[in-house]
Amino acid sequence: MRKIYIIAAVGFMFAACKPSVRISAPVSPGTATFTNYLAIGNSLTAGYTDNSLTLTGQLNSYPERLFEQFSLINGDKGAKGPFIQPLLVSDNGYPSARLIMAVSTNTCTGVSSLGPIPYPNFQANAADANLFVSTTNHGQINNIGVPGIRVADYEYRGYADPSVGNPYAARFYNTAAVATPSPMDELIFMRGNLAPTFFTMWLGANDVLGYATAGGQGHGADSASAIPLPGGNYYLQNDITPSYAFYAIYDSILRIATGTGASGALINIPDVTSVPFFTTIPADGLFLTRQSQADSLNAFWHASFPDISFKIGNNLFIIQDNAGLTRQAVPGELILLSTPTANFTCLGWGSYTPIPKQYVLTTDELQFIRAATAKFNGFIQQEAVKYHLAYVDMYSYLGTVASGIKYNGLNYNADFVTGGAFSLDGIHLTQRGYALVANEIIKTINTYYHSTIPYTDANKYNGVIFP
Amino acid sequence: MKKHLLAASLLLSAATSFGAGYQINLEGLRQVAMGGTGTAWPWDASTIFYNPGGLCRLKGVQAYLSVSDIMPTTAFGNQMNSGTTPTSVTTNRQSFTPFNFYIGGPVQENSRVAIGLGIYTPAGDGLQWDNNWLGKYLVQSITLKSYFFQPTISYRVSDFLAVGGGFVYGAGTLDFSQAMPVHGPLGPGHDDGQAVLHGNATGVGFNLGAQFKLGDNLQFGLTYRSQVNMSISGGSANFSVPSSLRDSFPNTRFDSQLPIPQVASFGVGYRTGPWTLQLDVNYTGWNSFDSLRFNFDQHTSVLQNMHAPRHYHNTFTPRIGATYKINKIVALMAGAAYDPTPVPNGFVSPDLPDADRVVVSCGISVKPLPRFTILAAFESTTTVKRNATYDFANFNGTYQTFAYTPGLGVYYNF
Repeated sequence: MRKIYIIAAVGFMFAACKPSVRISAPVSPGTATFTNYLAIGNSLTAGYTDNSLTLTGQLNSYPERLFEQFSLINGDKGAKGPFIQPLLVSDNGYPSARLIMAVSTNTCTGVSSLGPIPYPNFQANAADANLFVSTTNHGQINNIGVPGIRVADYEYRGYADPSVGNPYAARFYNTAAVATPSPMDELIFMRGNLAPTFFTMWLGANDVLGYATAGGQGHGADSASAIPLPGGNYYLQNDITPSYAFYAIYDSILRIATGTGASGALINIPDVTSVPFFTTIPADGLFLTRQSQADSLNAFWHASFPDISFKIGNNLFIIQDNAGLTRQAVPGELILLSTPTANFTCLGWGSYTPIPKQYVLTTDELQFIRAATAKFNGFIQQEAVKYHLAYVDMYSYLGTVASGIKYNGLNYNADFVTGGAFSLDGIHLTQRGYALVANEIIKTINTYYHSTIPYTDANKYNGVIFP
Repeated sequence: MKKHLLAASLLLSAATSFGAGYQINLEGLRQVAMGGTGTAWPWDASTIFYNPGGLCRLKGVQAYLSVSDIMPTTAFGNQMNSGTTPTSVTTNRQSFTPFNFYIGGPVQENSRVAIGLGIYTPAGDGLQWDNNWLGKYLVQSITLKSYFFQPTISYRVSDFLAVGGGFVYGAGTLDFSQAMPVHGPLGPGHDDGQAVLHGNATGVGFNLGAQFKLGDNLQFGLTYRSQVNMSISGGSANFSVPSSLRDSFPNTRFDSQLPIPQVASFGVGYRTGPWTLQLDVNYTGWNSFDSLRFNFDQHTSVLQNMHAPRHYHNTFTPRIGATYKINKIVALMAGAAYDPTPVPNGFVSPDLPDADRVVVSCGISVKPLPRFTILAAFESTTTVKRNATYDFANFNGTYQTFAYTPGLGVYYNF
């Protein structure tokens, strides 16, 4: 015994020589109860990344991060597992291939370069398409985020139809209570099943994004009386959802979500036009190195379009505007990342041939997108006040990320591939981006509910993977 | 278009530095044992460093050798790695062994002129964090070593005044590593890119001193040590990155500069009976360290020069010490110092997290033979817990550093 005592004493002496910094702030729920957490949202909520949904993406969704942090709260009011997501079984990509970084050869120019390409030799894993059935609590699912879903879709029965509906909804929507459930039916089912005490809701981005990614080839102007389409969904994918419909449906969703007295957080719509999908190819991305190139182009256009002019250096692309008319782009207009880049060099897109209108967001189209985003966000903020919910200004936060933030020694911005926060599709986030989003939500929750939930270390998770 | 995709900011987070701790103040063991005081009193040949003016006060030529062993550990904590079970991250205990060698004294008995040579370690430090810790993108490990060579001449103007000066040639090495913001398929913590920098540094300067003797029991000293700009030219910068990024991060050479700051000191020593009491004040010109740059020979769209702002402040360091001479053979020493940090809040980086230091020290000298003396000293340095930010990289936390430094030395009078 004496020997042990001496060893213990020596051990103590050495321990006393070591500095130690222990930060032990109590983790408190404040005025909210996080016991049963439900996440409502779209692709950003589902964990969609690199243009696909994968198991790994789901396991690193921001609701998963939030659940982890909520469960650090001790006692009754901390989040209690399990946190059920409608998980896939593979990382192949559902329903189509995820993007990866790889060296590929441009078929037109023959130049090999490193960039995002669809996973080669993609094969869908058949089991990924199987219906996800949660065995917990007769079907509990905590993350009902569905890629592509809009506020406008929420009352559409048939949204989960296996053949014509949304394939992500078709994977897990419960058809026992309602045979052809709408997203609202699914929410009602899950509310009854889970009895959420806290929810987050990040909806609305797709109500403008569909129009934006279609290059504005839909109906952008707001209208007081859009006509629902007979027999199908109410609103076309490429349209911006009319504000009256957005307001009415968003409010209905909230009435359901808060129906059992749950508290929660509403997350507003990011500026979809500040993501790399729209900002990577600049409007003046036509770079001429020789005067002879500029001369040839000027000669080519001069007769019919005297306003068009080219010089050595950066030039505005030639585009097709919304009416299909040819003109030179104006600064601030956006060329989509989906534009087949080989066509710039091999078909003379942007120089001798206008870039087709579905790849261009013109000034008027951008105005529609910005006006709708501002209206919707104004409404979401009102709703947060009305229902006594935290309002997360993700529009502003992702704006600061886009212009560049520093976080624990790393720089994040909205540069395509290298920015760290946005995944290879240029719209959705990386695991790190989703963790940053989770931290921003926690920050707002802590302020609103006087809680002290700790942040997660975003740098721990994957950014863009390089081969 | 695709080749432009990488034309952006994968820049290293440019957040590298060395803190105030790189000045180590261990150039003589008797002085170390007395809180770092020694500007006034020429105890032994180590006065070549502490006050070159005092060298001609030695009774004869002396050879002096000492070795110390610094064992610093820094702890870090912040809200992010706390959770419900707060933990503290500490650097691996590292050991550095700065040494000092001095030889010199009056050229002949009773000569007014003395010459000498000092080889000592003015700066040196290191931190070894866990490779996967929270601040890995700022620093994983850093080691700085330096050696100064100082040929010295000293002249006794009168019994009252002695002056001296030395030319300083400095040589050193820097080793630095940090995780890079790119990773491979296995993810951060398994597949991180890493930057490893190694460079040899050289610099020149001088060390001047005046020593005043108002009798056997009261002495003063004034010294000025110039800044020594340690510059690295052609250091090696190696980047291990995923193979697809090899061309973007070519291994290359780098140049850098690190100032070892100028120091003006005033000291007084007073002897009464068996006691000798000393007081020193150092004024250290840290403000020359306003930024740190690594300039690479080769640049790519993603590999650019690194530049980190520092904006250090000058500091005043008071030091006190005492010696108690038990008998002709044995003397005991003790002392203390308060060394305020030159690092302003907002610039506290984990590559050398600095804070106000409290130094407590003690020692013993034993003279078993008439010409031969053995010295032993022990110094403990503790920083206050400092909750600080490094705004440049948006990194913050609470730091605390402990360092224990035993030292052993001998000198021989010819």
